[in-house]
Amino acid sequence: MSFLTKRVGRMKDIFKFSQQPNFENPSLIVGWQEDTGKLSPKVIEYLNKKIKTESFCEIEPVGFFSLGAVAIENNIAQFPESKFYCSKRNDLVIFKGSEPRFERYRFLNLISDLAQHYCKIRELYTISGTISAIAHTGSRRILAVFNQQEFQKELQGYELVDMNWKGPPAISSYLLWIAKKRDIPGVSLWTEIPFYLAAGEDFQAIKTTLSFLDKKFNLDLDFAELDEQIGSQNAKMAQLREDDPDINKYIGMLESGLSLRGEEQMELTKKVTEFLEED
Amino acid sequence: MGIKLYKQPELKDSIMFCGWPGIGNIGISAIDTLRAVLRAEEFGEIEPWDFFDPRKVLIEKGLLKDLEFPSNKFYFQRVNNRDLIFFIGQEQPTDGGTRYAEGQKAYRMASLVLDVAEKCGCRRVYTSGAAVTQIHHTVRPRVWAVPNSEKLINELNQYENTIFMSAIEGRKGQGVITGLNGLLLGVAKKRGLEAICLMGEIPYYLQAAPWPYPKGSKSVLEVLVKILGINIDLSKLDELAERVEEEIDEFLESLYRTEAIPPEVRDEIEKLRHIEPTELGPITEEEQKKIMEHIDELFDQEGRKDERHL
Repeated sequence: MSFLTKRVGRMKDIFKFSQQPNFENPSLIVGWQEDTGKLSPKVIEYLNKKIKTESFCEIEPVGFFSLGAVAIENNIAQFPESKFYCSKRNDLVIFKGSEPRFERYRFLNLISDLAQHYCKIRELYTISGTISAIAHTGSRRILAVFNQQEFQKELQGYELVDMNWKGPPAISSYLLWIAKKRDIPGVSLWTEIPFYLAAGEDFQAIKTTLSFLDKKFNLDLDFAELDEQIGSQNAKMAQLREDDPDINKYIGMLESGLSLRGEEQMELTKKVTEFLEED
Repeated sequence: MGIKLYKQPELKDSIMFCGWPGIGNIGISAIDTLRAVLRAEEFGEIEPWDFFDPRKVLIEKGLLKDLEFPSNKFYFQRVNNRDLIFFIGQEQPTDGGTRYAEGQKAYRMASLVLDVAEKCGCRRVYTSGAAVTQIHHTVRPRVWAVPNSEKLINELNQYENTIFMSAIEGRKGQGVITGLNGLLLGVAKKRGLEAICLMGEIPYYLQAAPWPYPKGSKSVLEVLVKILGINIDLSKLDELAERVEEEIDEFLESLYRTEAIPPEVRDEIEKLRHIEPTELGPITEEEQKKIMEHIDELFDQEGRKDERHL
């Protein structure tokens, strides 16, 4: 752990190591706990389960999160987590964390410090979902933002779609910018999620993202579990379309590339969310 | 975290003017107008990332081009053999998500600004902000002056339309200056540096409004040009002030017409129209609170926006 002692001594209190794995220029995959269509946490959870990772280090929450209370979700008390994972494969490091409420720059620099100086990563991948006016019956594209042109060229052939955007930055873009300043090649992957599935889970988008990682890192992932969830969700959606002509009409319009009015979008989102939550 | 100076201008006995966003943007508009009119040249900045989150990301053809942070820039100019430094910050740093500067970050920012001031041989610092008070928007705002040393009182006494806290009813010379405008005065005092805060008045029913209040900025600017012994063209600020006043009139009229605010609140605001600022206490604290409850609610509804982050 020489990087800790070489750098600021105070950092020893911020990083909590449970083991000290060795890496060989791994890639870092970063996912956040809160995300559209729960894409980011689900992708990381699936990945962690299938390649059998273990947490080896975590960032202490003090100073980054409001610790005056705990949030309750689905009856369970939550607590912010910021953990690094490793597996027997020494070419991958995974980070899953809650978005810090305070000191975001310092927090993202801590992730980068550990990734760069301890793991000696060669590249960074961030995973997120983005709302899109598409139907769930179609395919999901992965929009991509690179921080270096050379890296962009390197990943040609993976069917990533170049993104254009000007607006408020998400935490993944902030991390990508910090990586750029450190000369770490990085890409933020933004998988499309039909807007009416954004409040729940979009298993097809989760699979699309995992398929990219599977191909990129030769993970040989088993998708059986996910395929079952996709099949089940699609069957439920087909049932809803059959039961509700308006929903069928709206999804049909999206399938034909037509856009919906604001109130139609609201109705579709409300009914789909309620219907999927019932089960 | 730190100061980045692109050049080291040779300055002596300089005066620094600091502006940040605040109520009605009175202070920053006054200082930034002066900076622009005098064509001060940028010479440095405070690196923003330790203080602020980025505001905007620019992505083109799949490449991250830039991340935009609120800027904190220094400028200088020589006017009538006097070296002037300007500091313009686009945001106030906070630790706890409040609108105005507070906590360690604010103290660090104030310290860095004054580090540059001292490096540039600065002998006095001016900050500027808003004084929320019971005036009508058609009335000429006065300027409340708060120095950080007693020896500056006499000097400030000579400026027209300028008052001290002791002249405000019920305050007995006491009060609070929130945000960096106040903090900088205190940190300067700690360093033995003279500092003065000039606050342009703004009607309390407009303190939450999303618009600037150029009338207040103009009053501050009138004092600043007197201090510097210069003449500048304020016609653009006058035009803006006129336009904003018309918009406020229209806004209030529409509220009265649609009864979005109760008639008694309207009467209380209108009472102020005919009262000179020097006449004391046209409405009570209780009445003021009642007005604010209604007006703040209306401004809150106007300002809400939903934006996607990528």
